[in-house]
Formats: sequence, structure tokens, C-alpha cells
Amino acid sequence: MGRESSERPNYQILAIVTMTRNRVITGSPLALFAEEEEQQKRMAQDLAKAMKADTVKTKDGDYLILRV
Amino acid sequence: MENEMISTQYLVMIVTGVVLGTTARLLTIKADYRQYPSYPNGYLIHVITGFIAASLGAVAIPALMTKNFVAVTFLTLAIQQFRDVRRSERESLKDLENTEYTYRGDAYIDGIAKTFEARNYFALVVALVSSLTIQILNLDQMWINVIAAIVVGGITFYIINRFSKGKSIGDIADVKQGKVEIKGSELFVDGIYVSNLLGSDNAAKMYEEEGLAVVIYPHQEHYRIGLDNFGQRQAILFEATRALGGKRYHFSRKEYDEGRIVITLVPITGDINKLIDTVKNAPVLESVKKSSSLMKTKYVGRE
Repeated sequence: MGRESSERPNYQILAIVTMTRNRVITGSPLALFAEEEEQQKRMAQDLAKAMKADTVKTKDGDYLILRV
Repeated sequence: MENEMISTQYLVMIVTGVVLGTTARLLTIKADYRQYPSYPNGYLIHVITGFIAASLGAVAIPALMTKNFVAVTFLTLAIQQFRDVRRSERESLKDLENTEYTYRGDAYIDGIAKTFEARNYFALVVALVSSLTIQILNLDQMWINVIAAIVVGGITFYIINRFSKGKSIGDIADVKQGKVEIKGSELFVDGIYVSNLLGSDNAAKMYEEEGLAVVIYPHQEHYRIGLDNFGQRQAILFEATRALGGKRYHFSRKEYDEGRIVITLVPITGDINKLIDTVKNAPVLESVKKSSSLMKTKYVGRE
């Protein structure tokens, strides 16, 4: 992306919600483990609402909570 | 005491210059779809600075004619004052950056600030030319002098206004409606990938139902240089969100093969026609404008 990546907007990852236990790593950003898909979706949505953030679903099935 | 008073001829010259110069500034304060400057305080500030610019232009000739050569150096003050206008405009717009739906971007702010500075020069030049006309004619019938000053001032205004007029996106590109598609959490417009920020079901549903998109097709290959510029795209996106409001999401994306640019958003109000008109009317920024004919020239540069 070159120069464009240094321009606004700056994305900040606030949290990750995953169903794969070994992707839950302590530290920042917050990584949460969900038992099943509905719970994962719900957790991601609740976090995004609380933090006024956006949600990205990765192809591996994880949810990233991002703020622009 | 009589000798210290300004003569009627100079008084007419100054008043005509000030009135014409201020009128030139008034005519260039536009309240178009961009709604900037906003009424009434923005208007007042620019009319007053325009009046001061016109006054400086109008008194230059009488100052010269009375052999007051030092007084002409106050024109340098005018330049300083106009630079301050540019600086204050830039600061004011930068202060507002975090409160808008999206960023104007530094390139757009620079363009707006320069325009405000340039328009003060309109007032100065029109006032100067008007008073110069009266001085050159110097007829006994003062009203003929004034009418001639109005005509010459009007022509001057027309020429410099035309000279400084920039192009808009509609002049260099076609703007057409784009088809919004959601595939999983990814947003596509006319098959161009735009974003994967639509991770939640609500976001995808909202975009599918309410999202609007336009695709910009540059007329010429070299227009892509300007259109692909981040500042230019940000300016277009800003104008789109400013005109239609930004309910939730707004994105711009460039496509490399054909140089298409996607502008898409979920608006508060408005329809696709309003979005197309807004994008067409968005200005081509001075800072990104390139002259392809100049780049081809053999008159300058190395062999």
C-alpha cells in the first residue's frame, strides 16, 4: 500500500474473538475464546457496540474488533 | 486645512475602487452544495477582509499621485494579511477535522485555504484597476470616469475569476452508479473489492439495504494520476458524506487495471442521483493537478 498505509485512517485492534483455543494469547489486544459460533458472534457484537467499533470476520472464522 | 483634505477626484477614485473590490469579493462568496463558508459569521469575516483588501488596492493610486511613495509599501502589508487569511482558514478547518463525518484531508484544506487567499487578491486587483482607470481617464465628467471604472473592473474580475477557476471531477471523469454486493463480510462494488469491515450481520444487512456507491471512470489515462491521489479521493469522500450525511460506513477504493475509483457510503438521507451530482461537482485539487502536455514538452529539461 506504500504511502497510503501511513495516511489516516489508523486502525486499532481492540479485541479478537476466536473459537480456536491456541489463538488465545494473553496481552494486548484482548483475545477471547468462544465455545460456539453463536456465542462468538454475540460476543463480537457486544464488544463492538460497547466500544463503538467495527467488526471484521476473518476467513479463518475469527472476529476482530477494530476502531478507525 | 483645505490643503490637508483629500480632493473630490481622489475621493471618488477611492470609493469606486473600494465598492468594486468589495463587490468582487461578495460575488465570489458562494453558498453552493458545499455550504462553506457558512452563513452568517463566515460571510461576515470574508466580506470584511475583502473590504480591507479592496481599500488597500483603491488607495494605492492616490498615494502614488500625491508622491507618497512610502505609503505604497503597505501593499506588502496586504500580502501579509492575505497570508494570514490563508493560515487562519487552514487552522480553522484543521480544528474541525475530528468533528466531521470523515476527514477533509490536508490536500483539500490546503486548496480551500489557497482559494480564500486568492479571492482577497481579486478584491485588491479589481479595486486597483478601477482606481487606475479613473486616474488615466481623468475626465471632467466624473460619472463617465466611474462608469469606465465599473466596466474595466468588471472585465478584470471576469478574467481573473475565469483564470482561477478549477476543474471538477465531472470534467475529467464519468461518474456512474455502482452495484453494491456483500459476500460474507466483504463489500464489493461492481466486482471491485472495497472492505471487509462488515463482519457483523447487522452491518452487512444495513449496507445491503441502504448502501450507495458510485464508480468514477477517468476520461483519459493521465487523469488517473490525480484521481488515484489519496488526498483527492479523501476530498471526494468528504464531499459525499457532507452532502448526504454519513450514517455508518464510508469507503473509497481504487482499482488498478482500469483506474476506476469507488466511492461508497451508507447515507443519512439522499439518493443515488444526489451522490452522483455531488461527486461530479467535487473539485479537482490544485495540489494534485498535473499537466500532461507540459510533461511531454521538449522545451525544458535535459536532452
